[in-house]
Amino acid sequence: MLVLSRQKNEAIMIGDDVEITIVDIKGDKVRLGIKAPLSVPVHRREVYIEIKQANVEAAKVGTEALDGMGQFAAMLGKPADAKGVFPAAQPDPNSARPGGSTGKPK
Amino acid sequence: MIVATTRFGNIEIPESSVYSFPEGILGFGPIKLYFIMNNPKGGPFRWLQAVEAANLAFVVCEPQMFKPDYKVRVRPEDLAGIELEKIEDGFVMVILTVPADPKEMTANLLGPIIFNPKSMKAKQIVLNEPGYTTKYRIFQQPSAAGKQPESK
Repeated sequence: MLVLSRQKNEAIMIGDDVEITIVDIKGDKVRLGIKAPLSVPVHRREVYIEIKQANVEAAKVGTEALDGMGQFAAMLGKPADAKGVFPAAQPDPNSARPGGSTGKPK
Repeated sequence: MIVATTRFGNIEIPESSVYSFPEGILGFGPIKLYFIMNNPKGGPFRWLQAVEAANLAFVVCEPQMFKPDYKVRVRPEDLAGIELEKIEDGFVMVILTVPADPKEMTANLLGPIIFNPKSMKAKQIVLNEPGYTTKYRIFQQPSAAGKQPESK
């Protein structure tokens, strides 16, 4: 890892677009100012890792996950009429369903 | 257009319903295109299905359904990437994690997804709210507990 010494109000550049300034130093706390293009997401590392893990965990969900949700769903409020939701997406009956064992009569 | 999915087979959707995530979703950065669809078997939950990865999908829902006081406080620069001026012009969904026991279902309140239906761009943002967690139990209200048998 590259280690640089900087004083308050000094900065480093990462590439042409990312500038990190030492805004303040108090005891063991350093405040950083970050200038980066919108395409470069900036996160606190621990939060970044937490969100990423939550996403990876959530993506493991199977098709059956929502089956039998009826009794619980009733406890929730009604979904809003969200714009941009593809309304009537139905599985294409002609497509193969890997592992599909729902045994629905045609 | 036809989107191949491992969970639902091939789905035909209008191209105009595809949202572009310029930054991707954390952990799945290279995948940029998704669409939202209602659960084919009904219910209040929806799926956020990747267009470019058949096996990538998330269960999502509007946070107001289980947490009416949920607030997303963002800076204008958080929204600039999806060309949204104010958050009211778009809509918010949160990603759900569904374990084997569905009543243990949790919502990621810390990393909501903001959609701009005008630009058809969307983004997962990371909130700076100490009170919010990535594992908020959505069935933790007293009314939910009351409908379940108390005994184990």
